[in-house]
Amino acid sequence: MTKTKTVSMASAALGRRTFLKGAASTCLFAATMPLGSRIWAQSGQTLRLSAYADIDALDPAFYQNGYNVDVMNCIYTKLIRYKEGREWDWELESAEEIEQVDDTHIRFKLKQGLQFSGGYGEITAEDVKFSFERAILHDSPVKSDWGPLDHVEVTGRYEGVIVLKEPFQPIWTIALPYGTGHIVSKKAVLDATDDGGNFGMTPPVFSGAYVLAEWKPNQYVRLTRNPAWTGPAPGFDEIRILPMDDTKTAERAYEAGGLDFTQITLSSLAQYRQDPPANTTIKEYPSLSYVWLGMNLDNPALQDKNLRQAIQYAINVKQIVDAAYFGEAEPATGLIAPGLPGHRDHSAIPVEGDLDKARAFLEAAGGPPSQPLTIDALNATVWTTMAQIIQAQLGQVGIPTQINVQDSGSFWTLGMESEGDRWKNMQLVLNRFSMLPDPYYATSWFVSDQVGVWNWERFSNPEFDKLHEQALRETDPDKRAALYRQMQGIMEQSGAYRFLTHEGNPVMYRDSLEPALRPDGLPLLPRFSGSV
Amino acid sequence: MIYYAMQRFLLSVLIVIVAISALTLMLHVVPGDPATMMLGARATPELIEQTRVAMGLDQPLPVQIVTFFGRILQGNLGTDVFTGRDVSDIVFEQLPYTLVLIAVSILWSATLGIVLGCYSALRAGTWLDTLLGILSVGTISIPAFVMALYAVLIFAVSLDWLPAIGAGQGFFGGAVHLILPAFAIGISWVGYVARMVRASMLEVMGAPHVRMARSFGLTEARIVRVYILKIAVQPAVTLLGTGVAHLFSAAVFVEVIFARPGIGALIVSSVNERNYPVVLGAVLVTTAIIVLATLVSDLVVALLDPRQREAL
Repeated sequence: MTKTKTVSMASAALGRRTFLKGAASTCLFAATMPLGSRIWAQSGQTLRLSAYADIDALDPAFYQNGYNVDVMNCIYTKLIRYKEGREWDWELESAEEIEQVDDTHIRFKLKQGLQFSGGYGEITAEDVKFSFERAILHDSPVKSDWGPLDHVEVTGRYEGVIVLKEPFQPIWTIALPYGTGHIVSKKAVLDATDDGGNFGMTPPVFSGAYVLAEWKPNQYVRLTRNPAWTGPAPGFDEIRILPMDDTKTAERAYEAGGLDFTQITLSSLAQYRQDPPANTTIKEYPSLSYVWLGMNLDNPALQDKNLRQAIQYAINVKQIVDAAYFGEAEPATGLIAPGLPGHRDHSAIPVEGDLDKARAFLEAAGGPPSQPLTIDALNATVWTTMAQIIQAQLGQVGIPTQINVQDSGSFWTLGMESEGDRWKNMQLVLNRFSMLPDPYYATSWFVSDQVGVWNWERFSNPEFDKLHEQALRETDPDKRAALYRQMQGIMEQSGAYRFLTHEGNPVMYRDSLEPALRPDGLPLLPRFSGSV
Repeated sequence: MIYYAMQRFLLSVLIVIVAISALTLMLHVVPGDPATMMLGARATPELIEQTRVAMGLDQPLPVQIVTFFGRILQGNLGTDVFTGRDVSDIVFEQLPYTLVLIAVSILWSATLGIVLGCYSALRAGTWLDTLLGILSVGTISIPAFVMALYAVLIFAVSLDWLPAIGAGQGFFGGAVHLILPAFAIGISWVGYVARMVRASMLEVMGAPHVRMARSFGLTEARIVRVYILKIAVQPAVTLLGTGVAHLFSAAVFVEVIFARPGIGALIVSSVNERNYPVVLGAVLVTTAIIVLATLVSDLVVALLDPRQREAL
């Protein structure tokens, strides 16, 4: 009663001055309190992170791009998965046991009791067979992940044998633990698609720790716990993935408290290392991707191997990496990144190049080309910076160049014969391919069959092709690694390649979070734990 | 007036047709194949070719344009090559975010710009007028994306007052998430409108009908409101009508910086992916909106000014 009275009196006495004083105090209070963190506070068990693009393919047999696979890892299970940590390895997920019986047979046994969502029942070997074979049956663009898969033989409700036409080592490093290895329900997919083909963006069933609760295109993907999941409970009730194609935007979002985990750019790394955001851990991981300067062997201006070698030796990779990646990336010695079988400790051409040798090769080539050579590059700062440094370095020995900057849509079809005659005019090209954790994935783009498709240098070497096939079948890890080292040597000797860097993949996250990351720093979301 | 409106409407339809035809032509001139982009690195050439045929990209260009307009007449904008979703669903899902952003930006910047322009004109030559002039030119010269970056760094990162990313949920969440993007886009328009209104008011203030009003002893407030501002605001209305196109452009950067959904970000990503159906659908809708905004601003000016009406 007294309280009511006091308020009433105060209200009665509210004059203009009192109101202004009150308003000023309120504004001052509002200005000093962290409104952002109060009003838009993150919920206790929602993990928020960014992805560099919005999802656009959720059928594992037709997957494209890593950002889709990150979501698939959450909503589907697979026989084996990548181990978290600093070294590439795999571990069991839905398989109770799995073994290579001989070069072409892999026997697996599923854990019992694993359930599909939506009442589609238990995951069986029949579902595994359906999931794996449909990529080939429906001519998926990623059917090559399965290599020479012949069929999957079902030997029991939970047991089966993966039968290959010939040995294929990448089945353990790419096919089974990555995109195509995810398991979907045969019944659910047939109900949804009739023929078992691509179900696109509408998964008819979930088999992983999470379900796709909501997708707001260009806004977020919301994953919530799968009530049918019988495996280890995931660390968060909800995962929210926000598409941000600019990593700098993700950095600002993290700083403003909008994200709990994000990749960061190499250009920001030094600054974050020196002055990290509050309660933040920063970790650096090597990337698997590879960047190189390629030379079109079929272009008349680059026919002379001496000229190509002059270009190789004139390029100081250390300078390029220091300038374009702010000293935060290491020079590459080949296609294959450290940590993968076949990585080379040294390249044949010194990282710093050798200007004297470059001049000698140029003289042997009869001097610099009469017309400037073109360098094609993507229209992002890092590529234009690299192209400009290469231009300056080649200029040091007298090789004139001209930089052609292109948008991604134009650039990524530059060397394709199906896109007209542009490949004929292409000379030097600054290129970057992303990579999966098997050396085969790198060398497969440079075999003769790929000339005019993704092999833009038009490099064709029978020995290289033979070694590539041999390495696919080689079961001895040391011998396999030696084959890949040999192949990179052949590429380098052709004069068509100057390997530049594998870039890097730094991440930052809240101290209280325990992220599960692959050796290349990419997230394994269902295994994130801790709190945010 | 009705004849004028009809005439403008037909002209608008023609502009949309020309714009879309030109865009289709440009999309096919620039290199980059949507089928290749869609299927990714490991697709076989045969599969790429099959997909091109399925998308109608093997047809001659005029056939593709006619097919596109034929589909529009049936209310079908096509299908997104990546997700298989209807383009109309995608475009109309994203469009409201951009429209609200632009509407709020125009609303606050025009309101403030008109007030400041009036104030400057009424106190022309004073130090306040000079200060407002400097501030106006200052805001005009700052690009929206620079303003957006600093707005995020100051109000979201350093002060933690406002959210940095996204569009928010619910009315309150949406409103709060609009503050920084609308500020970034609208701030330069405050300067534009203020300078425009000031110059226009100074001109009108010396007009015979204003002198006449003063001689009749009308109050200054009434003269400004009824006889000056109504005329002086017309150039600003025209400016805002044509400025919708610029606001769409500014929205592209701002949507990227604030990771907001919207038609601008959609067009940029679709162009990069050579996702032609989405590009064409989105540009068709935005062109129609821009043409409509120009038409509306002309009609508003005609409504405000009897001389314009009589001239129609």
